[in-house]
This record gives sequence, C-alpha cells and structure tokens, in this order.
Amino acid sequence: MVEFSITNQRYTYIDDHKWPSEEIDIHHIIVRKSNAKGFIVCVSAFVVLANGLCLFLVKDISISIIFWSFLLSAILVKLMFWKSVVKESVVVMPAFGVQLETHYRSGRIARRFVPIGKILKPVLLECVTPITCYWSLSLILRGEADLMLVFKELHPPMKMLVPIWKALCIACGSEESSDPSIKNG
Amino acid sequence: MAYQKHRILMVSDFFYPNFGGVESHIYYLSQCLLKLGHKVVVMTHAYGNRSGVRYMTGGLKVYYVPWRPFLMQNTLPTFYGTLPIIRTILIREKISLVHGHQAFSTLCHEALMHARTMGYKVVFTDHSLYGFADVGSIHMNKVLQFTLADVSQAICVSHTSKENTVLRSGVPPEKVFVIPNAVDTAMFKPGPERPRGNEIVIVVISRLVYRKGADLLVEVIPEVCHLFPNVRFIVGGDGPKRVRLEEMREKHSLQDRVEMLGAVPHARVRSVLISGHIFLNSSLTEAFCIAILEAASCGLLTVSTRVGGVPEVLPDDMIVLAEPDPGDMVQAIKKAISLLPKIDPQIMHERMKKLYNWHDVAKRTEIVYDRALKCPNQNFLERVSRYLSCGAWAGKLFCLVMIIDFLLWRLVQLLQPTEDIEEVPEFTVSNHQDREMFLNSSEVQSSR
Repeated sequence: MVEFSITNQRYTYIDDHKWPSEEIDIHHIIVRKSNAKGFIVCVSAFVVLANGLCLFLVKDISISIIFWSFLLSAILVKLMFWKSVVKESVVVMPAFGVQLETHYRSGRIARRFVPIGKILKPVLLECVTPITCYWSLSLILRGEADLMLVFKELHPPMKMLVPIWKALCIACGSEESSDPSIKNG
Repeated sequence: MAYQKHRILMVSDFFYPNFGGVESHIYYLSQCLLKLGHKVVVMTHAYGNRSGVRYMTGGLKVYYVPWRPFLMQNTLPTFYGTLPIIRTILIREKISLVHGHQAFSTLCHEALMHARTMGYKVVFTDHSLYGFADVGSIHMNKVLQFTLADVSQAICVSHTSKENTVLRSGVPPEKVFVIPNAVDTAMFKPGPERPRGNEIVIVVISRLVYRKGADLLVEVIPEVCHLFPNVRFIVGGDGPKRVRLEEMREKHSLQDRVEMLGAVPHARVRSVLISGHIFLNSSLTEAFCIAILEAASCGLLTVSTRVGGVPEVLPDDMIVLAEPDPGDMVQAIKKAISLLPKIDPQIMHERMKKLYNWHDVAKRTEIVYDRALKCPNQNFLERVSRYLSCGAWAGKLFCLVMIIDFLLWRLVQLLQPTEDIEEVPEFTVSNHQDREMFLNSSEVQSSR
C-alpha cells in the first residue's frame, strides 16, 4: 500500500493507493479541525441564550424571547456542525469511473459518480471572485456546457491538487500536455 | 537599456472587448513589453459573461474581476472593496510595479491607492485632457490630485497633456514623462492604388458626440459640398449627434454626396480609410488623437482642428490645421484639396513607420519603469504627510482615507495571510516556431 500525504494549516491530503493489489486510487482532502472556530460559535450561542434569559427574567419581556434565542443558537450550532465538511474524497477507478464524495460532520455523505467515458479532460483553473482568486480542479465533460468541480466545498492549495490532477489525467487517458511547460511547480 | 525584467500589472476599466484609444494603447504596449522579456498582467472589470482569467496573444494574462460597471464602463467606486482582490493578484503574480491608465477609471485609482498602501511602486498614464471649470472636472481633478500625490512616476501622451495634468493635479513636472502613442503601421497600410476618378473623397471616422466636434461637421459639410462639386464625404461612426447629421443631409439634399456608414468595427476602419483621399478630424479637445495617425499611416492627408495635442502629432506637410470654426475649416479643406496631387500615400506610410512604433513606446516606458523602481521606499508616515499639501480640507480627508486603507490592509493580512496565497507557476507559451528558434539557438550556443 502506497500512502503519500501533504499537510498545511487548513487541509491534509492523503493519497491512498492500494497498489499492486488493487487498481483503485483514493485521494482524501481532510479538513483540519479548527478549535478556535468551534469555540467562538459555542460561546456566541451561549451568549445569545444567556441574553435571552436575562431579558426575560430581569426586564420582564415575554417568554417568546427565550424561544427566539433558542432558535438563533440552534441555527448557529447547525451551521457550524451540520453543514461543515470533514473530508472530500476522489476515488479513481481506472476504466470504470471517478467517484467524488463529500463527508459532512453530521455523518451525511454526498456522492457523485462520473463514468470514465464522460470525462473529456481534467483541468486546473483559476477562479476569480470579487474578493479573491484560487485554483480549482474541474472536469470537462463530454456533451455538457458546464464544468464539474471535483471539490465542491473545499479549496485545497495547488500542491495538493496537482497529484490528483495527474492521477485523473492518467485514468482518463488524456495526455498531460508537456506544453505549456511548468518551470517551477 | 534595461538590466532588469519587470513584472507589471496594468490596471484600467477600459480594455478588450471594448475598442478605443486607451484599450489599444494598453494592448499594444503590453504586447511589446512581453516581447522585451517582461511579464505583463492586465486587470480590468468583467464585461458581461467575460469574467475570470483569460489569456491573449503572447501569453498576456487578463483578470476580468467580477465587479459590475456602474457608469460609462467604470466599476462602482467602493474605496476599499477592491483591496482583497488586488492584494491577491499582486501577491500571486509576484508583481513588482503597477501601471494604471486613464484618469476617468475608478478601478485604476483604487488599484493605485491600494498598491501604494502595500508598498508597491506605481506609474500612472493619463490619456485625456480635462477642463477646470465645471463640477465634474473639479471632482475629477481632486481625485487625480489624490492619486498623483504619491505616484512614483507619471506618463502623458503629449506635452499639452503634460501641462494639463500638472496644472490639474499639482504633481511636480519632473515626475511626468511624455511618451506619445503610436500606431500599428502593419495593419494600417495604404491601398494598392488610390481611389480613381476625379472625385475627392473626404473621410470622417469618429464617435458622433459633442466633444468630437460633430456640430462643426454639420456646418462644414454643406459648405464644402457647395464650394466643391467634386467632393464626396464618407462619415463613419455613431452617437447622439448622428441625428443632426442626417437632418443636415436631408435639408441640403446631400444624400448622394454624404454617405453615412454607422458604427464601423475596428477591423474595418482601414478599409474605410483607404477609400478616401483626405481625413477630417473636427474634435474640440484631444490629448493626442490616434485617429489621425491611422489616417496618415494609410496615406491620407489630414485636416484637423488645432486643439490640445494635435499639433504635436504629425509633421507639417502631412496635416492642415484649422481653428475649430466652420469658416476656417472650409479654408483648410480648400488648402488640402490643392495639396492633394503632391501627396504620395506610400511615402507617407514609410515616414509614419519610422516616426511611430509601439516597440519604441515600450522601450521608453521601460525607462520610466526603471526610474520608478529606483524611487526610494518611504515609510508610512512620510507618505501620508504628502497628502496634507493637497488642500485644507482635502488634505486631511485624503490622509484619513489612506490611514483607513492601511488598517484595512493589516486586517486583510490577518484574515488571509500571505502564505495562504499561492504564487502562480511560470508558464512558457510555446509556439512551434519559438521552439525551433530555441533549439537552433541552443545548438549554436553549444557549438561555440
């Protein structure tokens, strides 16, 4: 089993290649736990609840304030834990297809499968938003106008995307173009 | 001679797919700088669906940042809104110098302000002349004063423009360089032969707006048609004043003598020019006027109003100047018609090739960049104190704006540390021809 990993402050990349016993190549991007963020969310939820309780007890505002503060803190906690992504994986099955998985903290896993024949080419693109610019890995699909993002929620850095891109290129048989040549990776 | 290769970010609201003087200036200058070995990246706002990163000829990278234009192609001026994206682009492309174009571009002013806050060297090119008296101009001049208070070097396209910029903004004249625009003489060539017949064709191609003297045309054309029965006009271009020209045509029954082409796409300008003998420019204000360069390059004799930087553009035997007055312009056209037999389009074209050349502009701009990079680094307090001299109230306001910008920059640095922004790897734009040349040259080198 060949395992290869790169870490940075936000993400850990693991290449799980069970070779030569299996052909399947799995690439994981795992989000490193940010304790600060969780702490801040819990503290804010607590502050909101305490405020609601205080207003009810001291200032004699109706009990519905407690209900609203519960609701607000529940929303905060839900946003923090329910929708947050633990891991995104790319399972490359040569000659068969590619499976893209997103694992959420709540235990839910969202999967998308792309048959190998549908992939025209995997590409690394620069995405520009009004605030920033980042690299993303996308698949050009045959017969479709839109590109499919490999990592829907996460923005891993270039050094983690390059080995995945190379593996996808090999799997779908498109040549990595030698020109334009990359001088420093 | 430049010893050092620069990495330049060109910023403006005006770029391809728009066509115009500023747009073509940025494009040609960037291409020539790329040929000289520098790295050039262009930043502009998104045009409709055209958003994100695009590559143009020669590997010119263009960032179409998705900020909506709000007025006359300009991005909405949010003062600090563009700070994060500009910082990201400057870091990821490893830019050494920022070059802003056009005083009317809000994106340019914001980019230059943020670049100065972050300590980059900054060059500004002004392409137009502005007034001093009306409300719009007063505000524009204040904004320009703010930007130029702390710019490393400035470039103007003519000496008249330099005088105008220095007076409007109070920048020391030693900081301002004059580098005229040029013309792509390979594209604007005279036709294989001059239009036959005893008719004289006068061509006008411009936006039909007040500034470009469309009202003068309405007076001049009927008079000329009356005096010279063998003269015909071709008018290309569109705008609010087109209606007036159509009315003039109807009133004087000149439908067979004045041809209105409507908006002429840039690629077809040459074919319209070579169908004429004389080019008429009636602008009321012009910092440089690339249109008359294009006409001269196609072998046409030019008749123009003596405004702004126009007298500096062409040698005296290629142009007939007139005051922006209908009577004077008719006299000038009369003189031009009498000079016409002596003009040889090919000789004119050859002279233009020697006089105006984008590679020359790029080399001169390189000198300005070298000078800009040699400017001493000043610390924050010294730079902020420069703004105090801008005016009693304005000075303090500008200082406040810069201080807030500095604090916001520090905040953005905390939220998105520099290490998180990845630098873009270098790409070589391969070309089979280039590869052959590279292989040949490396063989030659190894055999020495």
